[in-house]
Amino acid sequence: MNRLDRLLAALLWLLGILAVAGITLIVAIFVLPEVAAKDTYARILALAKPGQAALLPPARPDTQFMPFADPAMVQSVCPFDLADGGLRLHADVEADKLLSLSFRTSGGQVFYSMTDLAAQQGKIDVVVLTPAQLEVVEADDDEDDPSQDLRLIAPETMGYVIISSLAAYPGERAEAEERVKSVACSVEQVAQE
Amino acid sequence: MSLSTAIVIKKSFWAYGTMLGKFLSAGCLGILLGLFVTFVEIEQGKGFVAIEAGPWTGWPRSEASVIDPFSRAILVYSGKIALSESEAMSFVAHSDSDGAEFNSACDYVVKGEIPPARYWTLTLLSPAGALIANPAERQGFTSSELLRTSDGQFEIALSRHARPGNWLPLDRASKFILVLRFYDSELSAPATALDAAHMPVIVKGRCE
Repeated sequence: MNRLDRLLAALLWLLGILAVAGITLIVAIFVLPEVAAKDTYARILALAKPGQAALLPPARPDTQFMPFADPAMVQSVCPFDLADGGLRLHADVEADKLLSLSFRTSGGQVFYSMTDLAAQQGKIDVVVLTPAQLEVVEADDDEDDPSQDLRLIAPETMGYVIISSLAAYPGERAEAEERVKSVACSVEQVAQE
Repeated sequence: MSLSTAIVIKKSFWAYGTMLGKFLSAGCLGILLGLFVTFVEIEQGKGFVAIEAGPWTGWPRSEASVIDPFSRAILVYSGKIALSESEAMSFVAHSDSDGAEFNSACDYVVKGEIPPARYWTLTLLSPAGALIANPAERQGFTSSELLRTSDGQFEIALSRHARPGNWLPLDRASKFILVLRFYDSELSAPATALDAAHMPVIVKGRCE
């Protein structure tokens, strides 16, 4: 082998290494969020069963449920598994007190979010359903007395709802906790076809 | 099989072995390099969707599907996905308005304009997103509890020593970042063109 041959061979190896590095980079970028989301969902399920709400422990310097939590926020989580039926959420809204709901898949993607400003007559009623369940529910609808529920189609059967409220003053924490705890979360039976 | 054929076979087997070894080590080297680049990019990068305004870097309150996988990986890794996807529009500052990295031996003042929002909060965190313990048990302010001047202006003092008014205690040993969150704000609109002039400034004061 002369010098040029060696140089070309080395270049070829280098290209090979770079190609493997590139593939690794792309795979890692795609896999990382999946792994992290599974971890979050597992931690949420350890805290509450599907169809039940549980208060997230408040962020303290030594313990935190999630990093970058806002210490002024009080949050609860309600996981759902639509295989067991739909998820019903009901909240009575206090005037001018921040209450926000975000609906997420088990992978952590938000598919809907709302605040107390979207309440109808001081109430929020949401039902999370699969497309098949929505058809069943709509078939049962009374045309003269339409349901006031907000019906959401979840892109996946498993997911969770984060319910948050703000303690605007440190002394309002207990009050904010009550507000978050008053949001009722339950499994809604949907007749199977 | 004659002896010479056996030797030839053995030789080619060796050649094959070294070739395989070369392939394997090149593969390993490639994977290591790929992981290293991923780590550096995620650790340092901001992704393609970050909004910058003065010292503040924010991420649009996205329905995550519109975020590219690269930005998503960065947000997930840093833990900031919890912020960007939840109810608030969030901005993080690692440095003062002059671009100098925060130093807990210095005093800082946060003041100036703030975009309209129903509520906003300013929180002092470690770079990893944990709260920092302090005897005053004060980690941040909400827009409601801030003391303001008669014309509605505010100043928040960051210092190791107690200050009158709005005081956020610094810990000598800890690095820190500031997180500004807007709840129920028009800022949630995508591609918000944020003017640095409408965000609070962070002014460095005396250092020890």
